[in-house]
Amino acid sequence: MSTDLYPEAKTPIRDDILQHHARALQHIAAPGAWFSGTERVAIAAETRLALECPFCQTRKDALSPNAVSGDHTHGGVLSETLVEVIHRITTDPARLSRSWYEGILAAGLADAAYVEAVSVVIHTISLDTFARGIGLAPRPLPKATDGAPSGYRPASARHTGAYVPVIPPGDEFGDEADIYDGMIGANVQQALTLVPDEQRSWFKLVSAQYLASAQMRDFDQEPRAITHAQMEFLAGRISALNQCLY
Amino acid sequence: MTGADGGVPAGSELAAFAEALVAADPGQLAAAISTLRQAVGDAGWVDAAGVAATFNAIDRVADATGIPLEPAKVDLSADLRAAIGLDAFRDGRG
Repeated sequence: MSTDLYPEAKTPIRDDILQHHARALQHIAAPGAWFSGTERVAIAAETRLALECPFCQTRKDALSPNAVSGDHTHGGVLSETLVEVIHRITTDPARLSRSWYEGILAAGLADAAYVEAVSVVIHTISLDTFARGIGLAPRPLPKATDGAPSGYRPASARHTGAYVPVIPPGDEFGDEADIYDGMIGANVQQALTLVPDEQRSWFKLVSAQYLASAQMRDFDQEPRAITHAQMEFLAGRISALNQCLY
Repeated sequence: MTGADGGVPAGSELAAFAEALVAADPGQLAAAISTLRQAVGDAGWVDAAGVAATFNAIDRVADATGIPLEPAKVDLSADLRAAIGLDAFRDGRG
C-alpha cells in the first residue's frame, strides 16, 4: 500500500514516511479504546468537513469565540458535542481553554474519548498537511476495520496540570512500560497517554516526518535534507501562525 | 539572509511555505513550493513538508490537552513572556 499512497508525487518520498503514512491511515480506521473504526473514520472525515464550516469561519473571525453562536455544518454522523470538539480543534485551536474543555465533559464526552478524538483529528491534519505540502490532495480515507473498542484506560494516568490526565514519566509501568522509549517525557509527549496506543502511533509518525526524540538533541548529525536550524525555524513559524503558546 | 529568514539558509522560502500551508491558499502554496524546491532541493522540500505536517498537528495536541510549559522552559522564557505580555494573553482566554 505504501508505494501506492502518493503515486502522482513529483518527487520521491522517503520510505519511512510512506510506511508510517500507510500505517497511520490504518490506525485511524481500526477500533480504538473508545471509538469503533467506523466512528474514527467519521471523525477523520469530519476533520476535513470542518474546513468548510461557515460557523467555524464566523467564530474564527470573531474577537472572542464566545461572542458568536450558531450551528456547525457537518456530516450528520457524530454527536453535536463531538462535532464541536473536532471543528474547534481543527479551525480555532489557539483559543481553546480549560472552561471549554470542562464544558465538553459536562456535555457527556468522557476524558479518554476526548483524547482519542484529539488524536484522530491530529493524525488526519498531519497527513493532510503533508499531502498539501507536496502539492497533492489529501489521500482518500480508508474503509473502517471491524471490531469493538477495547475500553482500555491506563491505571497510572492522573491529573498533573494539563486539562486531561496523563501518565507522568516515572509512572509508566506494565503495559505502558514502553510509552516513553527513546523520549524524555516532555509534556507534549505525555499529552495523549491517557489512550496509550494513540500516543504510540502519533510519535511514530513524528519520528518519520520530523525526527526521533534523540535526533532532536543530536546536533552533530543532520539526518534530513534540511538542517536542524532550518527544521526548527520552519516549526517555529508554523507554531507562531497557529498562535500556539506551548 | 535577513531578519525575515531567521538567519538560516532558505529561511525566507521556508517561512513562505509555512504561511502558505497554514493559509491553505492553493495559488500561494504552489508559488511557495516552487521557490522552496529551488532553494532546498526536492529531498529538502519533502522533509520540510514532514516538519510542517508534524507541527501543524502537534500545536493542536498542546492546545487541546492544555499541557503546561515545562518548569525549565518557564524559567528560560520568563523575560520574553513578560516583555511581550504573553502570560496575560494566555490567562485571558475564555
